[in-house]
Amino acid sequence: MPRAVASRPLHFIWLVDASGSMRDDGKIQAVNNSIRDTIPLMRQVADDNPNARVLVRAVAFSSGARWHLEKPTPLDDFSWQDVSAGGLTDLGKALRLVASQLAIPPMEERALPPVLVLLSDGQPTDDYKGGLEALLEEPWGRSSVRIGIAIGRDVDLEVLQEFIGDPTIRPLQANNPEALVRSIRWASTAVLKAVSQPSRGRLRSEETSVTVPLPTPVTVSPSGPSSEAVW
Amino acid sequence: MSPPPRPAFNSLGSGDRLISSTSGSPCVVREFIGAGGQGEVYSASLDGEEVAVKWYYPNWCTPSQRRSLEVLISKGTPSERFLWPSDLVSQPGSPSFGYLMPLRQKRFRGMTDLLKGRIDPTFRARATAGLQLAHSFLQLHAHGLCYRDISAGNVFLDPTTGDIAICDNDNVGVDAEGIGGVMGTPDFMAPELVRGQSLPNTQSDLFSLSVLLFYLFHVHHPLYGKRLLQIRSLDLKARIKLCGEEPVFIFDESNTVNEALPWEKDPTGEAGANAFDLWKIYPEFLREKFTKAFTVGLKDPKNGRVRETEWRMVMSQLRDDITYCPNRHENFVDRSARLWGTPPTEGAGELPPTDPCWVCSATVSRPPRLRLGKTWVILNADTQLFPHHIDPTRLYDYSQPVASIVQHPQDPSRWGIKNLSNRAWSTTAPDGSQASVEPGRSVSITLGRRIRFGTVEGAIAA
Ligand SMILES: Nc1ncnc2c1ncn2[C@@H]1O[C@H](COP(=O)(O)OP(=O)(O)O)[C@@H](O)[C@H]1O
Repeated sequence: MPRAVASRPLHFIWLVDASGSMRDDGKIQAVNNSIRDTIPLMRQVADDNPNARVLVRAVAFSSGARWHLEKPTPLDDFSWQDVSAGGLTDLGKALRLVASQLAIPPMEERALPPVLVLLSDGQPTDDYKGGLEALLEEPWGRSSVRIGIAIGRDVDLEVLQEFIGDPTIRPLQANNPEALVRSIRWASTAVLKAVSQPSRGRLRSEETSVTVPLPTPVTVSPSGPSSEAVW
Repeated sequence: MSPPPRPAFNSLGSGDRLISSTSGSPCVVREFIGAGGQGEVYSASLDGEEVAVKWYYPNWCTPSQRRSLEVLISKGTPSERFLWPSDLVSQPGSPSFGYLMPLRQKRFRGMTDLLKGRIDPTFRARATAGLQLAHSFLQLHAHGLCYRDISAGNVFLDPTTGDIAICDNDNVGVDAEGIGGVMGTPDFMAPELVRGQSLPNTQSDLFSLSVLLFYLFHVHHPLYGKRLLQIRSLDLKARIKLCGEEPVFIFDESNTVNEALPWEKDPTGEAGANAFDLWKIYPEFLREKFTKAFTVGLKDPKNGRVRETEWRMVMSQLRDDITYCPNRHENFVDRSARLWGTPPTEGAGELPPTDPCWVCSATVSRPPRLRLGKTWVILNADTQLFPHHIDPTRLYDYSQPVASIVQHPQDPSRWGIKNLSNRAWSTTAPDGSQASVEPGRSVSITLGRRIRFGTVEGAIAA
């Protein structure tokens, strides 16, 4: 019988605010811990979704933006290295960085909608609108599902809402560490689940045999009287 | 994407105490099992018994959700295959609630594991799962209920036996009674539901059942053919088109715009290469049902859909039509193939040669059969007979085997049918001689021999 698994890639990108203010109240450490804790849950969701091949990346932005995890990484190989904080909040640069990688290529022609999760505790210090435009110019940027998590009370929710785009999805407000854990858990599980759906199968090249313990085939014996036929 | 639910700001922790509504018994939360679209599932203990708790996200803790759960709880489970809500639970001081249900046994694996190729049940196990699914849907509908959100994610099966367990029953509703709630996953929804033109009802469930069965046997979606190759972002909009607005069956002979492509033409398999390979190995009567379900059944919910009782019959016939090649690959003996004609009269006429093995091309030897009225069972070394086969009052009863195939202890070349039931059979040879087959005894498999099991008589044929 066939084996399965043909899937589309699902790119999942964390955009983590690493500005100086993230050092206050242990916010950056809470983000690091929460993302790390959520990995097993993401794996579980991915496990339940046969048609998605989840690939994770992460961008950290402060004064400028850089790939914190550049290579699209399968969940099985994904581990989280701590992001450290210090500097400004250059969200626009982060969005441009992501936009450049959502172009085709390097993006695949056919995929599931990418998921972008933005975590921020403040207001952008650069031209975030330009960055957002660059992102939305890419077809994969436009079709991405974007989630915004506001850490603490100083966040400009308008900016997050602009990033999200879809008015039916509101920014999540994480005003304490528990709420942050849950927001991150939700973004990485429920959203992941909503984007990936059942599936295409794939026949493995080598056939696997069915292992029914089976002796020689049943054969018909020559007919005889019933007295000899019952044992 | 539909608006996602709010995050769970009130998830439970290990050791939390919940109160069950009717019994008032305390229920202690153990571990987090998994998160779903509407809530999280935990294991818990209730009066020393292991149970599962589904704890809703706050936005799902609505009076209407509570009321529909109360209806399900008071109706009770349609059968033991459903992990059915048994009681509401709440937490002192919290407006949230959840419900208790049986904990899924470890032997069950997700249908998604099958789709990922992590489990590979035999055809017999798949047919058994299909039979139980059809039977479960029938029982659900008999209770005046229907699904609003059935998908591969809700169906679990024991890969060895094919026994199924249906999870996530909180979206079951009263037939055709629309409330906002979840509508389902487009892939498993009837087209009229995807288009928003109808509320979930028995007819739409019949469509979902056909999709589940198609997946079970073809490891592919029946409407995902070559059109997939034109779709860049497989988002909700694309799925609505494929499953709702312009659905076309991948094996629709009258419309090939969405036909399944073989591996050579689409190495990604997205256009249905799995299904392409498997479609032709099944008996014609299975193909006919799928064709009906996904051609006329797409457009005519009332009369075009394949009913649970039809699927039940097809699945039980499939079980009885399996044989093995010398390398132990399962193959089907196609009872509907034209070559076979009407079943030959007992003892007379031979069956035509079977096709070479679909896996290894080895010659499949012609198996003996036990003819039972208008139907038959192929006799393999692992064949068992059940009340279903020999007692018309107990159709689809596969609980305890009443017969198995055995080899003669002194002469392994002699095969027999062993009486595992608690009543004697009688047997008649072509020469007219008779004997009784007491419980625990066996009767030789010889051409033309007849065996009377109570009211039903069987005859051994080639
Ligand atoms: N009765 C149960 N026993 C064990 N695990 C369960 C049970 N019900 C659900 N689960 C698991 O909990 C997780 C969430 O399930 P569920 O809330 O039903 O998902 P969804 O709402 O997305 O359909 C899944 O991994 C599911 O397999």
